[in-house]
Parts: sequence; structure tokens; C-alpha cells
Amino acid sequence: MALFDAMSIAGSGMMAHRKWLDAVSDNISNINTASRTSDDAFKERMVDVQAVDYGSGDGGVRVAGVQFGSGEGRIVNEPDNPLADADGNVKYPDIDLGDQMAELMMAQRGYQANAAVIDRAKDAYQAALQLGKG
Amino acid sequence: MTALHSALTGLAERQRVTADNIANVNTPGFLAGRTNFENALKSAVGNGATPAVSGGTVSRSLEPTNTNGNNVNLDSETVIATETGLRYQLALNALDGKYSLLRSALRTS
Repeated sequence: MALFDAMSIAGSGMMAHRKWLDAVSDNISNINTASRTSDDAFKERMVDVQAVDYGSGDGGVRVAGVQFGSGEGRIVNEPDNPLADADGNVKYPDIDLGDQMAELMMAQRGYQANAAVIDRAKDAYQAALQLGKG
Repeated sequence: MTALHSALTGLAERQRVTADNIANVNTPGFLAGRTNFENALKSAVGNGATPAVSGGTVSRSLEPTNTNGNNVNLDSETVIATETGLRYQLALNALDGKYSLLRSALRTS
């Protein structure tokens, strides 16, 4: 048990949610990225999180890795696009903006909840540090 | 004073477990942790024994999970975090009172 554990646990939660925010913003910023039909479309980034066991471990959460969605995409006919093939087709990533926005909100709220925990833990530790002073 | 120390340790443990629950609010398959130190403390104080200074026991919540196997409720965790913080400060104030009592006793001697 390290000192000020509650803060580091909430800190790990903030980091995991920030990584999630990063992945979602990457997905949204590439939602209109076209590619050649012979290549893979932009693959959706999905953050894999895992709980760090409380008791045997330090508690909290960690980012176990990133998984990629399918690069299959959808074929769109855009003969003017410089990346178009002989038939005038290009590939766009098959990412749903609605899903991404919902994930964005979940990640944002999770981040805020962890920031609130740090605030509360700080108050408690500060009060404990005043013990025996008065 | 040992009872207060025991209560403080238990409340600090609950605060850590709540932080762990909120950190894992979006982790698939995570079950919320629940701390119990009150029962052991109550029976020790009731029997006149010296309460053990430990964090109590942590068990996993058996509440129904949502579709990703997670059963952390952010609202109830926030309530627990607020209540635990206030109870922690209450126990600290009580301990502080004991200390100032001891200090004045030392001064008068």
C-alpha cells in the first residue's frame, strides 16, 4: 500500500479514459479519409482496458492494448478523387459517427468522475495532515 | 483511540476501493468492490476487546451487471465517496479532540 493510493488509482482511471478519448478523436478525425480500393481503409481504433486487481495488485485500471476494426470499409464511386481506381471507386472507413459520439461522452464522463475522486481524496488527505496540530 | 484508528483505516480502505470502482467504471467484466469493517469494529467494541486496525474485508458486489459484465453504478459510488469522505473527517475531528485532551492533561501536570 503506497501513500495516497486513492489518488493514484483515480489517476490510472483518468489515464485510461484519456487514451479512450484519444482513440475516439483519431477515429472521428479520419472518418472521411479515403484510400485506394486495393488498400485497407482507415481502421477504427478501440482501446482495450483491464482492471488491475485490488488487493494483490495496486488497484485501478490499465490500458492493455489497442485493437483495430475492420479495414474493409465501404466502396464509394468518386471518379474525380485522385485515389480512384479504373472504375472510379475509392474506399472510405466504415465508422459510425453516432457510435463514436456516444463513446466520446462515456469517456468524457468517466474522466470527469475520476477527476472528482482525486478532488475528494485530496480533501481527506489534507484533513489528515492537519491531525494533532490544533 | 484504537477504535478511532480502526475506523479511520477502514474508511481510508473504502475510499481506495471506491476510487478503484470509479477508475473501472467502463472496464468490461469488472465487479464493484465493497468494503466492510463496521461489523468487526462493532463486535470488538461491544465485547470490550481491542479492535484490530485493518482495512476490513473487500468483497465483490453481486448486483446485476450491464451488457459488458460491469456492475459499477457511478451514482451510488459518488454517494459512497461523499459519505466516506465526511465520515473520515468526523473520525479525524474526534481523534483531534482526544489529542488536544491529552495535550492539556500534559500541560497541567
